[in-house]
Amino acid sequence: MLRARRPAGPALAAAAVLAAALALAGCGGTDAAGGTGSGTPVRGGTLVYAVNTEPVNLDPHASPQDVTGLFTRPALDSLVALDAKGGVHPWLATAWKISADQKSYTFTLRTGVKFSDGTPFDAAAVKTNLDHIVDPRTKSQLAAGFITPYTGTTVLDDHTVRVDFSRPHSPFLAALATAYFGIESPASLKKGPDYLARHVVGTGPFVIDAFTPHQGITYHRNPDYNWGPEGAAHTGPAYLDKLQIKTLTEDSVRLGALTSGQVDGIASVPPANVRQVKANPRLTILSREAPGGNYNYYPNTASGVFADLRVRQAFRAGIDFRTIVRKLYFGTFSPASSPIAPNTVGYDPATGNLGAYDPAQAARLLDEAGWTGRDAQGYRTKDGRRLVVRWSFAKAFAREQRDVLAVQVQAEAKKLGIDVRFEDGTFTELIARQVRGDYDLADFSWQRADGDALRNLFASASISTPRSFGQNSARYKDPQVDGWLNAALATTDLAQRSALYAKVQQKVLADGAVFPVYVFDYLLGANKRAHGIAWEPQAYPTFYDAWVTGK
Amino acid sequence: MGDGEVSRRIVRTVLVRLGTSLLVLWGAVTAAFVALHLTPGSVVDALIGSNTVTPQVRAQIIADYGLDRPLWRQYLAYLGRILHGDLGRSYQLHESVASALGSQLAPSLQLTLVSIGLALIVSTPLALFTARRRRWIRALSSGIELVGVSIPTFWAAILLLTVFSFRLGWFPAAGATGFGGLVLPAVAVAIPVTALLTQVTREGLERVLEEPFVLTARARGMSDAGVRTRHALRHAALPAVTFAGWLFGLMLGALVPVEQIFSRPGLGQLLLTAVGGKDLPIVMGVVLFTALVYVVVSSTLDVLYLVIDPRLRGAAR
Repeated sequence: MLRARRPAGPALAAAAVLAAALALAGCGGTDAAGGTGSGTPVRGGTLVYAVNTEPVNLDPHASPQDVTGLFTRPALDSLVALDAKGGVHPWLATAWKISADQKSYTFTLRTGVKFSDGTPFDAAAVKTNLDHIVDPRTKSQLAAGFITPYTGTTVLDDHTVRVDFSRPHSPFLAALATAYFGIESPASLKKGPDYLARHVVGTGPFVIDAFTPHQGITYHRNPDYNWGPEGAAHTGPAYLDKLQIKTLTEDSVRLGALTSGQVDGIASVPPANVRQVKANPRLTILSREAPGGNYNYYPNTASGVFADLRVRQAFRAGIDFRTIVRKLYFGTFSPASSPIAPNTVGYDPATGNLGAYDPAQAARLLDEAGWTGRDAQGYRTKDGRRLVVRWSFAKAFAREQRDVLAVQVQAEAKKLGIDVRFEDGTFTELIARQVRGDYDLADFSWQRADGDALRNLFASASISTPRSFGQNSARYKDPQVDGWLNAALATTDLAQRSALYAKVQQKVLADGAVFPVYVFDYLLGANKRAHGIAWEPQAYPTFYDAWVTGK
Repeated sequence: MGDGEVSRRIVRTVLVRLGTSLLVLWGAVTAAFVALHLTPGSVVDALIGSNTVTPQVRAQIIADYGLDRPLWRQYLAYLGRILHGDLGRSYQLHESVASALGSQLAPSLQLTLVSIGLALIVSTPLALFTARRRRWIRALSSGIELVGVSIPTFWAAILLLTVFSFRLGWFPAAGATGFGGLVLPAVAVAIPVTALLTQVTREGLERVLEEPFVLTARARGMSDAGVRTRHALRHAALPAVTFAGWLFGLMLGALVPVEQIFSRPGLGQLLLTAVGGKDLPIVMGVVLFTALVYVVVSSTLDVLYLVIDPRLRGAAR
């Protein structure tokens, strides 16, 4: 999704169509520390990090924004942690058991943990949190949708809980590892949505001092912290005395703040500036591939010119996406070949051999599809009608030069005789078109640390209707794919799930339901005085292991 | 004319003024309501965005904000609430419109006042110094003014930051509170205002300096500086004051990019976010508030004319 600001829902918050804002992410525990440099960590100091957008609502149980996950992760722990390979590790839960019918999860909780407001962490707190997420009054725009078959939580004793589902739901543990399922203090949850929109209290390594909209958020170290996730680089309290995240919306301002040493790290270095940052001896670039849906184009398979499989195949084969991506991003982002990123659980490496550039084949396919005529401008026609592709595109929200990329694709399509026309619009207009199915082509990225992202993208139940919004922009409907996706929900065995997801990838590519474009990398610019910045599986930085050296 | 007639006239003038003010406010709110509803997409879709929510959450959002009611009823309900002094609740910010406006007002007001002050301090001497001077001085000054009016505020703000924060390190980049954080944003907002004010004031000055009474003053042996500051400036101030109402609108527009670039809280950011997200109560609240300020400013100006120009006092009768 667009990571940009999200409308209103923020708004600015920025967002983008279908994209944008939503980036969901599943964030999970930390995995191996990335970070800059090495050496012995030192305690103390403040790390200042600047981001390009901010939460409209700080409560991750309610908010769908990826930046909400980033802002609350320092203060919130989850029951389990996820590693980059999809493995699940203990965090606030020390052990768990899944029932034979895959419908019940029983968790044993860590003892001696308390929230920063003094409330003890126990089984009742877990129940309160999950019930809060699914309560319609919370108006959860993300988390509740991750556990739709949830039927309830039962407190078995002080430190044992059972979570029940009406049907098997294998993505549960991966969802539980995200900040959107971060465990908040039951005392603070009682204060209602207005309070939670600005205050979040958890058991995490940092405690939130103040969240000031349009400026940022400040934290101080939780001195009692002794229950970090398995897989973190250290145990005990965080190294930093203070952590500060500032909202600097403009790319040039964020970059200037980094190069002038006013902040220690920034999110979203514009790809065009990566070389400039790398050339600065005081700075470095940390990048992390984001799992989940790549930045892809989705043809509307239900109506219009792309309802014809041959036209879709011709568009994919006749445009050299790989070369365009390489030239535009100088290797910062790699060309995609599957709808999901290579580091997503369930990615099928065999997709790398598909989708070769073959303009001659594209021309043959278009001839076969009956687009044999040519008009005065050189575009193909059929029965006197020009081959026009209407692309629903939000230029104002385009990040990472996606608008430049789109114009290059338009120029390539012209060589094939296809007239690509942009139908620009606001975020809200694009949503409205998506609901009506009124477009030939749509584009967005959809991050999530689980192969279940494929269900969002291609299950027939994810097609937008006036009553519910879904990410299946291709409006793709295939009983076989639906069957595989459902079968993957019923098993927590990673190998079995991966095999099913591989079939889905092969089938949607063969059916031309997606044109993969590039794999998104989170590009973090950092001052070399900042060390130990780690990543969540969702490719957001974490600061538990981070430390700073003198200026 | 009798005293009775005079007071009746004054009462009538005040009532007419009040009536037109209310009409302006009603018109602004109605136009904002219609405009927001004319843009495609339903409010509930805009609030949910590109997320998949459960049907219960969707129903809850619709019920909470009464979005299933016909538009005319939503409109009447809104007008009714305003009459009771209730601006409603934001769809997204989890607070009332009044509290959102209240918390964002002070930073914007501070920025506006400092910018206006800066513009007056710079433009007045500039106009005094350049009016009816040698050709090259005027040409130079108008050239600079033209640039000041023409450069986009957005660009000026980035330029100021690049030079004075990133290169020289004199001021914090953004997000800073306190005086240091106010300087660059205020300069960015003040640039076009200063340029326009200088032009208008100088034109006024030049017109006045042609007047016979100026010749008389000079003949009395008054110095050039005295003529300019004591006589001409007062006359020239009239068009500049007229201009101030319009200036207010210009500044509100400049607040949007400046608050965004400098990461300052304020009405500009509030409005930008709300329009993008179809947060109707906030948009209408900001529109109503700015319309109110506009009405107050222009009414105050009418009074100020009387103070500045004694000739109008007679006309008011």
